[in-house]
Amino acid sequence: MLGRSPVRGREVLDTVLARAKRRVDHADALLRDETQLSLRFESGRLKESALRQEAGLNLRVFAGGRLGVAGTTDLADHDDVVARAMASAGQGERLTFDLPCSSPLPSLATFDDPAAGMDVASLAALGRRVVEQLTRPGWQVSASVERSVERVEFASTAGQRFAYRATAVRVGAEVMRVAGDDVLMAFEDAARSGVPADEELDALAGAIIRKIRRAERVVEAPEGKLPVLFTPSGSAAVLLPLRQALSGKTVLQGISPLSGKLGEALFDPALTFADDPLVPGRLGSRPADDEGVPSRRLCLIEGGTLRAFVYDLETAARAATASTGHGRRSTFGKPGIGFSNTLLSPGAMDEAALLAEVGHGLIVDELIGVGQGNVVAGAFSHPVALAYRVDGGEIAGRVKDAAVAGNSYELLRRVRAVGRDAKWIAGTRSVPPLVLDAVNVARG
Amino acid sequence: MRAAPGGQVAAVRDRLSTALKQTRADYAEVRMERSRSSRVVFRGRRLELAEESVDAGGCVRVLSRGCGWGVASFTTLDDLPKMLDAAGEMSRAIVLAEPIRLAETAPREDEVVPELDGDPLGVPLAEKRRLLEHLNGLMLAASDKIADTAATYSDERTEWYYANSEGTWLYELRPEIGLAAQATARDGGCIERSLESVGLRRGWRSVQDRDEMFRAAARRALELLDAPAVVGGTYPVVLDPRLAGVFVHEAFGHLSEADFVYENPQAREMMTLGRRFGSDIVTIGDDGSAPGLRGTLPYDDEGTPTQRTVLVREGMLVGRLHSRETAAAMGEHPTGNARAISFRHPPIVRMTNTYLEAGSGGLDDLIADIRLGVYAVDAVGGQTFLENFSFSAARGYMIRNGRLAELVKDVVLAGNLFQSLQSIDGVAGDFRWNQTGGGCGKGGQVPLPVTEGAPHVRFRELLVGGEVGG
Repeated sequence: MLGRSPVRGREVLDTVLARAKRRVDHADALLRDETQLSLRFESGRLKESALRQEAGLNLRVFAGGRLGVAGTTDLADHDDVVARAMASAGQGERLTFDLPCSSPLPSLATFDDPAAGMDVASLAALGRRVVEQLTRPGWQVSASVERSVERVEFASTAGQRFAYRATAVRVGAEVMRVAGDDVLMAFEDAARSGVPADEELDALAGAIIRKIRRAERVVEAPEGKLPVLFTPSGSAAVLLPLRQALSGKTVLQGISPLSGKLGEALFDPALTFADDPLVPGRLGSRPADDEGVPSRRLCLIEGGTLRAFVYDLETAARAATASTGHGRRSTFGKPGIGFSNTLLSPGAMDEAALLAEVGHGLIVDELIGVGQGNVVAGAFSHPVALAYRVDGGEIAGRVKDAAVAGNSYELLRRVRAVGRDAKWIAGTRSVPPLVLDAVNVARG
Repeated sequence: MRAAPGGQVAAVRDRLSTALKQTRADYAEVRMERSRSSRVVFRGRRLELAEESVDAGGCVRVLSRGCGWGVASFTTLDDLPKMLDAAGEMSRAIVLAEPIRLAETAPREDEVVPELDGDPLGVPLAEKRRLLEHLNGLMLAASDKIADTAATYSDERTEWYYANSEGTWLYELRPEIGLAAQATARDGGCIERSLESVGLRRGWRSVQDRDEMFRAAARRALELLDAPAVVGGTYPVVLDPRLAGVFVHEAFGHLSEADFVYENPQAREMMTLGRRFGSDIVTIGDDGSAPGLRGTLPYDDEGTPTQRTVLVREGMLVGRLHSRETAAAMGEHPTGNARAISFRHPPIVRMTNTYLEAGSGGLDDLIADIRLGVYAVDAVGGQTFLENFSFSAARGYMIRNGRLAELVKDVVLAGNLFQSLQSIDGVAGDFRWNQTGGGCGKGGQVPLPVTEGAPHVRFRELLVGGEVGG
């Protein structure tokens, strides 16, 4: 009986747009109504179950040639949100661009009935399956299992109107192992629009067990400019600059190191990077973006050559180009640019072959403080949270008190090897393992 | 400062107490929040956004004897009774062999409305825009090498209501205001950034006369264009008060949060009270009741009054931060550290204002006998994996023969819980609270307003990441 009053999304949108219409040139609005049920396991036992229900409306208006926005979670107060959008436009920039008119959207399954129907008992069963496999002496197991159901409703004065429902199931588990003064934390997660199969849950638990087994021996960190195997979770620091630099906003602001280089071979030919909102079952998938632009796949880097940047309506208008369908909006603030699902193409090598490529070096599985620093410039420098020393193509043991540093743009010019086993991170980013050369490794 | 309950406050109180009376649960609590906020952002020469927002919702938490927590958060306030029922049902669905207990706290009734030096709600959006346009202009005017800026003004006024089935009733007005300046300098392929921010629980007048902050952001980004990256390795390191504050937060603050240890026998042993973690010049604490700071509130989100809690006294572990649940589990007292970023989340154990106590002397005394070292200045951020953590400086200066030498960039420090605190061999007397914006993240709840305070601190040896030979 986890019910509540349904939000009449279409009615709210129509009322707000009708009231805005009298006073504005154009307007569009997005309403997101989400119900999330999440379970938290602490020390191996189910401790908390939480229901979160949130409905929010984001309204954008063009009034007197100026742009304004307003958001609210109080859906009863239609007049207030319109008044605030007008006040925002009163201060807003002089700017107009066309909103997409009515157009057909690609058909895409984003809603999974079994996922939507999951209750506390069925979610608990998923969690228990993972927790039981991880329960052993000295291992502190935490886990969370979550399913969400959302309904997105969009309408604009230009005639575009659509609604879709989407589901998501996320499972995450973490083991903290304290042995004397040695603390090891290992975690994994899996997310998709449907209910994960047993094999996926077992693989998740298996990956955590493997991380801890490999960390049983602590060895001295190597030092110098070394080849490093970045696992899919470990490569976040290397790929983050690329993601920022590919944003049309970063290009417009004049701070993307990639601006003006479309068509140039900037990276290793092994590097192909695409954004794809039409991948079945993934959490970034949607028939249209949050500004009503129909979804399509976009290749950003093809065989090392820069092919495209991502734009929303506003940045596209300013750059005199077309939106690539990457408008993203939340309840508050102005629509901005966001990727849907991103895919870095996998290579052919299995783990043993990748380790042989490394020879003497490091595996980086998790870094500390990713995103803090001069990201867009490509420079990264982070202590390791979980890393292993590699000698003679074999894992020698866990390395602590070491730090890696480098520049993404330089490192990605030459990729030593790309692994075949790409992994989905957070349900939206498919990333294979990468071996990069001459990464700075310092040890304490 | 107490305010007479207005009609609206009394009406909410009636609504919450009526709903609570109807639950069958052994323990139930309701938090309701309504916030009105405004935000203005300039990017480069353009106004990005000027908006006012309304965010309203509630969170209920229910505990039935021998069962788990049932939590429900919602934005449709009329659903309160239904949500209490749902939370009760979810609680009863989790049966625990070892029951969750809550440490006793005395029921209390209070209504707290701080006096503001100018209510931002009464200031027109146009005036906020004018203030920020001026400040943003200062960054743009610094040099034609300033390629991009982001200037942000924000204010928020949250009406916070709390009631539980033990008879506690609280109402608070929680104000926040802040400015942030980010300047990006570019010279060909070289791109550098500098960020300055201020975050306060005060009024409109507290963010006036901030020209220097915006000028400094631009100046520092420009200076970094010519600075070499620091060479990686271990060095004697001196932290300025701002970065030392982040160090304390990451190095020791998070591990003091009892939810990391209370159910883990090995972690409890590692964190036994009385254990030595640093030399006797190291005293660390957390104080949610310190007047005038961003992490300060009269009550936490379980209705427990905030307090000063000493965590490390003269190098020895003497305390930790608790919610009612972790305090009961460890046989200790609640410390008023159960906090939630908003009605969307249940409270978890968090820091408030975390500090490293002052010693004596100044920066010159700390660097005088360092032949080759790093002076790391201003914080970009930090993150911890408990034993190992990072803290990033905005910039650094090499220390050569007892003197500050050239500027260096990309200074990221690696910390180890057991080695770094032991490595502190100098604590200056120049203590300062750092009232910056941003906040702390944990368990998906970010940004939580916190403050850190520290003086200059010296480490015999720390690992600095960066380019190495070989």
